[in-house]
Amino acid sequence: MNILRLFSSRSAEPVPAPPPTAPIARERLQILLAHERGSFRGSPDLLMQLREEILAAVSRHVTLDPDKVMVRMERGMHVSTLEVDIELPSGCDAAFTAAVRQPAPA
Amino acid sequence: MDSSVEPTRQLLRLRGRSYVAFVFAPAVPIVGWLEEVDATLARSPNFFVGKPIVLDLSAVDLSQSAIAHLIKSIEQRNIRVLGLEGVDLAHVDASMPPLLSGGRPCMLQPAEPKPPKRETKETSLLLDSPVRSGQSVIFTEGDVTVLGSVGSGAEIVAGGSIHVYGALRGRAMAGVNGNSTARIYCQKIEAELIAIDGYYQTAEELDASLRSKPAQARLDGKIMRVTPLN
Amino acid sequence: MAKVLVVTSGKGGVGKTTSTAAMGAALAQAGQKVVVIDFDVGLRNLDLVMGAERRVVFDLINVVQGVAKLPQALIRDKRLENLCLLPASQTKDKEALTEDGVGRIIEELRGSFDWVLCDSPAGIERGAMLAMRFCDEAVIVTNPEVSSVRDSDRIIGMLDSKTVRAEKGERVEKHVLVARYDPARAARGEMITIDDILEILATPLLGIIPESQDVLRASNVGSPVTINSPASVAARAYADATRRLLGEKVPMMVPHERKGLINLLLGRRAA
Repeated sequence: MNILRLFSSRSAEPVPAPPPTAPIARERLQILLAHERGSFRGSPDLLMQLREEILAAVSRHVTLDPDKVMVRMERGMHVSTLEVDIELPSGCDAAFTAAVRQPAPA
Repeated sequence: MDSSVEPTRQLLRLRGRSYVAFVFAPAVPIVGWLEEVDATLARSPNFFVGKPIVLDLSAVDLSQSAIAHLIKSIEQRNIRVLGLEGVDLAHVDASMPPLLSGGRPCMLQPAEPKPPKRETKETSLLLDSPVRSGQSVIFTEGDVTVLGSVGSGAEIVAGGSIHVYGALRGRAMAGVNGNSTARIYCQKIEAELIAIDGYYQTAEELDASLRSKPAQARLDGKIMRVTPLN
Repeated sequence: MAKVLVVTSGKGGVGKTTSTAAMGAALAQAGQKVVVIDFDVGLRNLDLVMGAERRVVFDLINVVQGVAKLPQALIRDKRLENLCLLPASQTKDKEALTEDGVGRIIEELRGSFDWVLCDSPAGIERGAMLAMRFCDEAVIVTNPEVSSVRDSDRIIGMLDSKTVRAEKGERVEKHVLVARYDPARAARGEMITIDDILEILATPLLGIIPESQDVLRASNVGSPVTINSPASVAARAYADATRRLLGEKVPMMVPHERKGLINLLLGRRAA
């Protein structure tokens, strides 16, 4: 009698092997290093630059409290997200709305 | 009871020591200077007994043969020349006393030195936690006792004996001030190095049958004897 | 009262960062408010193991230098809301990390968190010294291997002399965490035993973490092993260790070789 067959006929669904994680690791590294190499090779990280320029632009119109500025980034292979959260002092709404509504230059 | 294995060779001694020497600085004319030496000897004939001197030749310009002659003249007067100073290597040959350097001036006691004051209090250092790798405990005034182990890469340096209530894995150097009766005791001997009064023994030289057992080490002449405790 | 805990080892590659992430996450899962700080300068690791590498904006040195405020630099974990990360700097040099700066940051963090876990870099240089400087408690990660044990001993000596607590004559509570324990090699007598490690280090045992594929997998996907595969042997060992940190008495499980039933039968037949 084949012991293996005896066990296999009694066993339930075989436990699925966990999905290979190496491809996930590779992708994470590729994204990360693509960004890091960019900043090391002299051209500063685009996202960091954008952050600086956005904050500079906003502070020209509004006095920014650095504590009220939150910057979040999510770097991806094809799409990266830069989220700049600024808590504006109340009372400047009108001025700000006016600024935003200006049509973009043609 | 001695049941140790005798090492088949003598242990190498590592010590530094400084001595105070008299310095003679001859001046020209040499003959006149030698007469002064004779006069001193006439006043106290045993003045130079046991006191070798260093010849400082910086005030005179002598040829090699002249130096050799001068040394001979001095030795004829029963004065031992320990070394030479203030002269070029070119003027010195192998048969002469060595050329010394780095001498520093110091006060000389004209009278007989007094016997050294004895310490009336025995001092000892107690450590109640293990000595960790990289730590160095130096206590030259007396014994060191450790309630715990001495880690690999740690060292204990003591003027007296060293007592380790634990495993000795690092270096233990006892009797560093010339106390050859100092001993090293431990509950487990795995020391990297043990030394008593400058005579040292490394881990390799430790008898394999004693390793990791309670042991004491003492100096027998120039031989390190490591024996089991109890 | 907040606890500042340093995860250190002396030797590199023994599992400090993995352990910081695993225990940090386990503490957060237990309801504690946790922040983990990467004290390496120039080589970032904790953010990678936590899976936050793409969201790093500001780092520890930015905060020390005043370029950013602490809340701006903290990265909240996506899976556990009471777990935050303060990443290390990738580009600055060691001198930028000052004792005053680190002291201020840790004080500030004490106000908002229950646990401040400091992931120490390897070695005994500035990063490692600063990681331990302000700690109340320490976990010394040790592998069952001679140089790791010796380095751990060195680090324990430093915890007892180079920390603010030690200088004030107060005790740093220390625990040994044995990581990368291989039960097969232990069975063959090829590894220093747990007892040997404890005898040499004379420090209480927090836990024994087995060498495990789950740890590698977790690191690959960027999730602490206690979140990624909580049922795995390694994760359960970390969870037990964390419970002991919280003061619970948990019986110590020594990982054993897991021989499958089939292997056992086949082995006997072949013999």
